[in-house]
Order: sequence, then C-alpha cells, then structure tokens
Amino acid sequence: MDMLKLIARVADQLIAISADQVESVVEIDAITPVPLAAPHIAGLAALRSRVLTIIDTYAALELGRSPREGLLQAIVVTIDHHLYGLLVDDVVDVAVIAGEPEPLHAGLARGWTHAALGIVEHDGQALLQLDPARIVAGPIPGQILSAA
Amino acid sequence: MDELLGEFIAETRETLEPLASEIVAWEIAPDDRARLDSIFRFVHTVKGSCGFLDLPRLERLSHAAEGALAEVREGTRRPDKKLVTGVLLIIDRIGELVEALAAGKIFPDGGDEALILALEPGDEAEPVTIEAAAAPPLPAAGPRAPARSIRLPVELLDRMMAGVSDMVLARNELSRRLRERAGDGNVDTAFERLSTCVAEMREAITRTRMQRIDGLFSALPRMVRDLSSELDKQVVLVVDGGDVELDREMIEMIRDPLTHIVRNAIDHGIEMPADRQRAAKPAAGTLRVDARQSGNQILIEVADDGRGIDDERLVHKAISAGIVTRERAAAMTRAERLELIFAAGLSTADAVTAISGRGVGMDVVRANVERIGGTVEIDTQIGRGCRLTLRVPMTLTIIPALTFSVGDELFAIPRGAIDEIVRASGGSVVVERVGSAPVARIRGERIPVVELGKLLGVATHVDPARAILVVVRASSGERYALSVDSVQDHEELVVKPAAPAIMATGVYAGTTLPDNGRPMLLINPAGVAHVAGVKAPDAAIPAKSDVAEVEAETVPTLLFRACDGATRAIRLGLVERIEDVAAQAVANVGGRLRLSHDGRILPLFGCTAVVPDKYDRVRVLLLGDGSSEVAYAIGEVIDIHDLSPDCLPNAEPGPIAGVMLVGDEQVELVDCFWLFAQAGGSNRSTERPLCLFDSDDPWMRDVLRPIVEQAGYRVGYSGDAGDPDAAVMILSADRPTPELRSTAPVIRLRAAADEGHGAAGSIYRYDRRGLIAALAAAQGGR
Repeated sequence: MDMLKLIARVADQLIAISADQVESVVEIDAITPVPLAAPHIAGLAALRSRVLTIIDTYAALELGRSPREGLLQAIVVTIDHHLYGLLVDDVVDVAVIAGEPEPLHAGLARGWTHAALGIVEHDGQALLQLDPARIVAGPIPGQILSAA
Repeated sequence: MDELLGEFIAETRETLEPLASEIVAWEIAPDDRARLDSIFRFVHTVKGSCGFLDLPRLERLSHAAEGALAEVREGTRRPDKKLVTGVLLIIDRIGELVEALAAGKIFPDGGDEALILALEPGDEAEPVTIEAAAAPPLPAAGPRAPARSIRLPVELLDRMMAGVSDMVLARNELSRRLRERAGDGNVDTAFERLSTCVAEMREAITRTRMQRIDGLFSALPRMVRDLSSELDKQVVLVVDGGDVELDREMIEMIRDPLTHIVRNAIDHGIEMPADRQRAAKPAAGTLRVDARQSGNQILIEVADDGRGIDDERLVHKAISAGIVTRERAAAMTRAERLELIFAAGLSTADAVTAISGRGVGMDVVRANVERIGGTVEIDTQIGRGCRLTLRVPMTLTIIPALTFSVGDELFAIPRGAIDEIVRASGGSVVVERVGSAPVARIRGERIPVVELGKLLGVATHVDPARAILVVVRASSGERYALSVDSVQDHEELVVKPAAPAIMATGVYAGTTLPDNGRPMLLINPAGVAHVAGVKAPDAAIPAKSDVAEVEAETVPTLLFRACDGATRAIRLGLVERIEDVAAQAVANVGGRLRLSHDGRILPLFGCTAVVPDKYDRVRVLLLGDGSSEVAYAIGEVIDIHDLSPDCLPNAEPGPIAGVMLVGDEQVELVDCFWLFAQAGGSNRSTERPLCLFDSDDPWMRDVLRPIVEQAGYRVGYSGDAGDPDAAVMILSADRPTPELRSTAPVIRLRAAADEGHGAAGSIYRYDRRGLIAALAAAQGGR
C-alpha cells in the first residue's frame, strides 16, 4: 500500500508524506495574505488558474513560523476538494518505503504528535510520516503554544 | 418537450447498444439473473419515460415486456424460448420506433398486437408465424440518423473550463512579456490571432455549461397542481422564457429559492376562490413565472394576483418580534417596510401550514440567492398581488465586483452589495467620531463606518480623512460604509470557494484570480458587518427626516478626466467596463478612430488622437447598450456619484448631451445615445411608426427621445395632429391616461427603480431593456 513517499525537510526534520496524496511540488514566489485567518494559513498563491491555500507548516506543527524569504517550496495536496500548498524547507527525495508507519513511543512535541502517522525507516534513518490533512487542519484549538 | 424527447431518444439509444450483447447472452442462458435484470430495467425505464412523453405505442410494448419479465423474476414463469424471442422482438421494435422518432418519420402501424400476444405463455411450438407480422419493414428504411448530441460528465466540462482559464492566464502573461519588448509586427499579429481563438474557445466552453431554464420550470406545473388541490385553491400557471439559458450549476442553486417563492405565492398570496370572487377577481388566481436575460444577469419574476402583502401588518409583526423598534418603524419608507419580509424570524403566515411557514423563510431565500451573487426584490400591492424578482448572474462563477486596495492588499466586493461610493472628504460627506467609532453622515443619513484596514489588521497608506467610503448594504440588511484606501476597478471575477479555514474567518466570500495572476479575496459584506458589530437595520438612522432630499432621484454617474483634461460625466449604467488597452490596438481607419478589442472592432470616441501613458496603454470605457458597443478613451476615472438625472441640455445633438453641476463644478455629460447612433448608422425610414410622448414631460423630450428614435420610432407629442396614427404611447406612471383618439398601447414609465405607489405594470424609466422590449411588443401587436 502506498509505498512511494515524498521526503521533505521541515525545521531540520526529515518527514515523509505518502506520494499518492501529493499532486505536485511547486515553487511559490508571492503569497497573498489572508487577514484574520488562523496563524497556520500563510495565504493564497496561484497554481496556474487555480488558487492554492498556502499552509505555514511550521505554525501547523506548532514550531513557530515558516521562513518566508525568496522562492518557497510547497507540496500541493488536495483535501476535501480544496487545493493546499504545504510550505517545506526543501523537498529531498521521492522513495519507495515499504511497510506501515510504526507507532511512536518517543515523547514528541505536541504539534508533531498531532500530525504524525508514525515512523518509517529509509536509508537507515527514521522519518516521521505526516498526514497532510492534519497539517492543513492546523493545531488543535486551545492547544497552541504561546511561543515555540 | 422536444428537449425531453431528444434526451429520451439519446438515452434509449445509449442503453440499447450495450443491451444488444446482453440480449444475446440471455438468449444462450435464460436463467442468468443479472442479464434478466438489466433487460427488465431497460423496458421499465422506457415504459416510465413513454408514459411521461405520451408515446402510447412504445408504452404498450414496453409494458407487455415488463409484465412478462416480471413474472420470470418472480419465478412464476420459466424463460422459455418463446418468451425470449418475444422479448427480443419487442426490444427490436422499441429500437425501430425510437429510430423512426429520431428521424421524424412515422413508423407503420400494426404488428404490435402480434408482438404482445407472442409473449403470452403458450405452446412452444408455434413461435415462427409471428415473424412476418412482427416486422413490417420501414418503407425506404434510410440510414440511421446520426446522433447529434453526446452526454458528458460535468467534471470533464469543468476540467475543460479550468484548462481554458489556464490558457487565458498564459495568454495574459505572454501579452505582458510581448509588451515589455519592442513589438515585432509578425509576432503581434500571430498573438492577436491566438487571443481571438482563446476568447472564442472560452466563450464556447462557457456555453457548454449553459442549460435552458426549462429544466427548472418543468417541475412547476406539477407542483402548482398538487399545492393548489391540497389547499383547495384554483391557480393558473403561466410560464414564459423557458428558453433563457444559464449555468447548469446556477439552475441548481436557484431551484430551492424558486420553489419556496412559488409555494409562498400559492399558500399566502392567492386567496380561496370564494374570497377572490368577493373581491371581484376571477376565482382562479394567476401565477406568472417569467425569465428573461438582461445583460449578464437573468431576471426571474414570480408574480401572483393574490392578496398582496400588507406592509402595515408586516411592520406590526416586526415590532412584536423585536426586529425593529417602534421609532425606527415609524421612519421607514414603504420599500423599507417591505424589505422586512426578508428579515430573519418573520413569517407573514398567521398559522404555520404544511406548505410554507416551516421556518425556512424569505431570509433564507435571500441569503441563498445572494450567495450566488444575485438579489431578490419584492414589490406588492394590497389586494392586487405580489411580485418577486430574482436577479442572478448568468454563471455561478462570474461575479461583477469592485476591486479596491487597503494598504498593500487588493480585495474585491460584489458590486450588487454596493449602494454608492463617496470620498470621506467629499462635499456631502462628514465623518465624525462617536466614542471610538467613526460614523459618516452622507446627505443627512448617519451610516456606521467600518475601517477595513483596522478590522483586518492591515496597515493602510491613506489618512482616514481621505479614504474612500464604499457604502454597502449587506444581505442581512446592515448598511455601512467600508473605509478603503482607493478604488481600483470594476471587474467581472471568477470566484471560487475558499478553503474552510479561510471561510471560518467569516469575512470572505471566496477567492478569485484576476488577470495579474495574484489571488485576491472577495469580501463578504454580511460577514464584515457581523465581525465589525454593525447592527441592522436600526443602525442607519436618518439624522433628520428630510424626505425631499432622501427621495430625490439619482442616477449613478461616473466622473472622469477626459483626454483633453476636462471633467466629464457618463451614466454608469452604460459603462460595461473600464480597461487599459494597448495603444497599438487603436488605429485611424475608415475615417475614424477604432479600437480592436477582444477580436472586435469598436468605434473609439473621446479623443482625436491617442495619448498613450508611459506603459503605452490607453484607458478606455467600454460602453454597451445591449446590442452595440463603443469605446470612449479617457484620462482617468475620478469617482462615481449619484447625480440627478437632469442636465442642462445642449441645443445641438452631439457628443455632449449637456452640462450638469457636480458639487460646484460644471461637468459635461457624455451623450451615449448620440455615440451609439454614430456607431450604429441607424436606418432612417419615413415609414417609421409614431410613438407619442406626454408633451408636459421634459425628461421624455430630452432623455427618452433618442432611445425611442433609435428603436425605430418617430416621436410625436400628445395633442399633436398625428394622434390616431400612433403605434404606442409612453406616459409617466403617475399621470392619468389622457383622452386619446387612438387605441395605441400605453407604456408607463415610473421614476423609482422599485415598483410601488400604485405603479404596477410600469417600467422603471432607466430600464432600457424593459422599455425596448415593451416598444417591440407594442409594434408586434399592431
């Protein structure tokens, strides 16, 4: 089952996202802010004629704020018929990783725990596999850390 | 009906094709339940459709086959060879009949009975004799008429639409790049050709999404019948305009509001037959449902001749329901009182019936219609009836909007929600602070100001005193002024729903991607009112009851700096859009300046030679009167004002209709009718029918005359000698019908946009389409 995974870097952590959930990876240069929206909504960007809602992955994982300088890389996913771009530091690889994600036992920070599906192993490294839908949903209300 | 028949034929053909192999398989294995089921389904569907479409022959055949197959399904009959053959013959005959139907031929009578008899259970040995009787060959059975329509999943159309949108964006990008570097004639020509193709393609694909409103109206007769018999009322339904087309998604969106309005009309509007007779009305009420296109809007009118809505009672109910205060109610105009019907929690029904008044009120109808960028208007006369007008954009996704900036950000707001746009520092506007809240006084009315920058937490670049106030009326009834930095443009925007996290803020209605490729947010006026804490409708309290001032009629007018530096005005109703076009698109050909725009050539007025800006572009107003289009070059847009319709007319007809006063400044009003007349080259014949005007009405003489003349009439005045020859007469709604020697139909024009004040059946005097339609109808009736 969905063995192909996209490996990206977020806050110096390698993460994996099931590739069949990923539509594409794009570079974003301009983001239209959305005032009053939740902190993890970075804004809007255009993907050809479609509008992407850009997610500040750092904020969604309660890690502060994603860097916003220069060209940004975003993983495009569709959730409930809406198109989102998850900001990542960079996309590292696409690789076949067999096996189901294993449950976590280590004490992760709350933001990570919320978004993580479990740990997968690739090239001898442990990666957190994240659920894009949970990243898009953002931090659980009332649990946002005041300062990361 | 033709459309339904076409659909039936397409559907039957479509199912017959795969069925052919099923039939063969069933013949080999008559016990195969799955095959039996699919054949049964087919005849069952055909039978259902035939009953509806009044095709008795097909119905009888399919009914017989269905009956026999049902027995097999129940297990009371074995599918023997005779039965299988019989069913197959019937299916073949259905196919033949459908083909004959498609080709518009008559299939020879006879033979059906033998086919049906052949299904009767009986001796297996005698099936052969049927053949001869069963299939009388079609005389000159020509080639099967090729199918001219196919069915497509809507998703595919959506994908095509998205593809074309992508193409338009790519074209715009390319156009920008081409403008940056010096023009190469060949490349430009090729690019122009590409642009034309893209535009045509876009239009064609937009059309694929269009559907006749028939589909929506076809359910009405049944509904009206059921409802009226349930309520013991008599209702005659008159439906018109079913050929009007609109976006199929839009049809779905207005289905519920329309149903609700029709239910309301029958339940609350039309009286019991006895009551009607007591009121000297025919026992049967009339319900008219009417659709017509007006620009890029569709108007759907639902009018009944029932008891109408008593605005006094409405106000009492609203007061007792706590929706308005007694003081506020006393200050309300009739139109405002009628608006109360759209207030949440107010039902006119005294008793909750099963038909309506079940909590889904007119507020929901209005909210649903406004969500798709439409409006609902009501207009009623006690004892005479009630009319609701739905105005919806032709497509769901394209909304006329005003774009404006706050700080570095651009936003859009639906144009339908905008009442007017004024400058905070303008002559008739004073912005005061009451406590911490700013309040604007515009022509004597106090309107709360929502500082959008502050609300959204965006730093503004403009001193609040110099801001632009966009006066907005939200669907929930709140009226407030949105303070923004500057107004950018009027645009038709393709609006898509935003992600849930963005909608959760409550202040946005969706996202859009304008030509510059940067996403923009569409503001939801009701949401902003809610977040900002603006209350309706008591928030707008007249500062003084200056009735004369409030009732003064105004026409939205665009002020602009002309190419020669003068300030001019033009009636906004005719301005379709403001655009910057490449200076190269303008050429002096055929004795005048012309603009090549979107594949069309438009006469260009407003200047004698083009003065491009530093980007080598020219700003033009595109004016349309519904049939023709002209362009008018301008320097810049100054503002939009509501100005009096009067102006001091020029003696000679020409590009300037006259002079009007804006503040203290004298401004020339552009004569659009003259422009269109110049552009069109009207056909002047001596045999033009005569249209009579009321000689006492200067407005008709000065403003209306050119329109009527352009519509192919010559104009005379009542009391003139030509009276008996008149083809039509135009009167102001508030004047009595004069003694006439002719029997010419009379068109009544009213000054107010909303009908009321005893002006039923009249046309708003700036409703050009309505007027032209009435003129055309009058001419046709002769």
